[in-house]
Amino acid sequence: MAAVSTIYSTQALNSTHFLTSSPSSSTSKQVFFYRRHQSQTNRRFNTIITCAAQQTVVIGLAADSGCGKSTFMRRLTSVFGGAAEPPKGGNPDSNTLISDMTTVICLDDYHSLDRTGRKEKGVTALDPRANDFDLMYEQVKALKSGIAVEKPIYNHVTGLLDAPELIQPPKILVIEGLHPMFDERVRELLDFSIYLDISNEVKFAWKIQRDMAERGHSLESIKASIEARKPDFDAFIDPQKQYADAVIEVLPTQLIPDDNEGKVLRVRLIMKEGVKYFSPVYLFDEGSTISWIPCGRKLTCSYPGIKFNYEPDTYFDHEVSVLEMDGQFDRLDELIYVESHLSNLSTKFYGEVTQQMLKHADFPGSNNGTGLFQTIVGLKIRDLYEQLIANRATVPAEAAKA
Amino acid sequence: MTTIAATGLNVATPRAFVQPVVARLSAPVRLNYPWKFSSMKRMVMSVKATSEGGISDKVEKSIQEAKETCADDPVSGECVAAWDEVEELSAAASHARDKKKAGGSDPLEEYCSDNPETDECRTYDN
Repeated sequence: MAAVSTIYSTQALNSTHFLTSSPSSSTSKQVFFYRRHQSQTNRRFNTIITCAAQQTVVIGLAADSGCGKSTFMRRLTSVFGGAAEPPKGGNPDSNTLISDMTTVICLDDYHSLDRTGRKEKGVTALDPRANDFDLMYEQVKALKSGIAVEKPIYNHVTGLLDAPELIQPPKILVIEGLHPMFDERVRELLDFSIYLDISNEVKFAWKIQRDMAERGHSLESIKASIEARKPDFDAFIDPQKQYADAVIEVLPTQLIPDDNEGKVLRVRLIMKEGVKYFSPVYLFDEGSTISWIPCGRKLTCSYPGIKFNYEPDTYFDHEVSVLEMDGQFDRLDELIYVESHLSNLSTKFYGEVTQQMLKHADFPGSNNGTGLFQTIVGLKIRDLYEQLIANRATVPAEAAKA
Repeated sequence: MTTIAATGLNVATPRAFVQPVVARLSAPVRLNYPWKFSSMKRMVMSVKATSEGGISDKVEKSIQEAKETCADDPVSGECVAAWDEVEELSAAASHARDKKKAGGSDPLEEYCSDNPETDECRTYDN
């Protein structure tokens, strides 16, 4: 990756700085430090040239229920190459995923109250009172500036806060969790943000699928669980939608009347206009309204088929473009056919979206809009990253010339 | 609340390991090369093995607790927090299930993905 060099004056040469975060109730004190690397030059004037390895790009991903967005994360990290794995030799219940280019941090690690603490106080994990936003802001800021941090670990199995783990600043940092865009300071640090909006019916259907295998669970208990969390969710998590640069909305299908199994999905990709380095995907003609059913003479699809929609819209007072897919892919050629008609995908070669989808054909959502749009967002993030890096490399070079 | 990482077990005494517990997971490979042990990893793996069955029990218990708490007062913070706990544990249980299904079935594969340079894991492609 391009090295960014900056020229500093001779002040504060041999400095080792200590930064401690404010200790929170049940975590150990976080200490992280950095030392500026110096290289003496033989220039007449006393300037020291230091090189920062990289400037980290920070992506925020918001959605409900713990860090079970790992499907999205795996797709995203796979776009960049390499598999994301938990840190080796560390806590086995760590929520962090690390690959060559990306590190994914679960924001549950910034809970200020552990499970017993929350039960005592009667707050859910969704409540901002259960999270330490100051620590979150400090550590994300540190990682963004290239400083390693000791990040606490929230153990989902025991419900306790474990000893911290060392996180090295990656090229791309993804923070996923319930509140990436809740705190304004953290929001400012994000280069791109995504919100996964699952509608209530689909959420219910998915949770039934997930939990019915679990003994002790019944339809009533699943329903009660969702209902009980809803007020907090609507109050604290849902409003983050308006700040997201991209929203992936998952709704029940309109192709099958009265379908409540949640198998066929209608997925909408809502992309904010005017975001730097992000050009929305479009169908046929940018800014127009298109309704497209690819199944016909050239392409045969099985029931219920595929339907696309593209239109400009307003979302929370922002201009957005909405690309919508309803239905399922059954075959490879349906996927490549659809890909060849979409524009502005930021692919590096023809068929890259299809290739990525096939690579993870076993992931949930690989045959519908969720997988497709997650893959597309992954490519958009790659594009954004490359543009950002190119931009940051040219700016100091110009300053050096001047 | 101690993690095994915090217990400070040293690589200096690999032979003091609880071999029988680990044997189920990966002994055939490791016994030949005890110096290649990573102490934390072995202990960590044996801890992992015991906690899997426990999550399902925890889920069941938490559901019962939530029902009891909510029987008294359905709109209190305690009730909501109890159901939130159920949700969290169910998510953890489903992750554990997925992890079990996905990996951990072949100890040799797992070992080789981490240590491809060892003799057992060498592949000859040409």
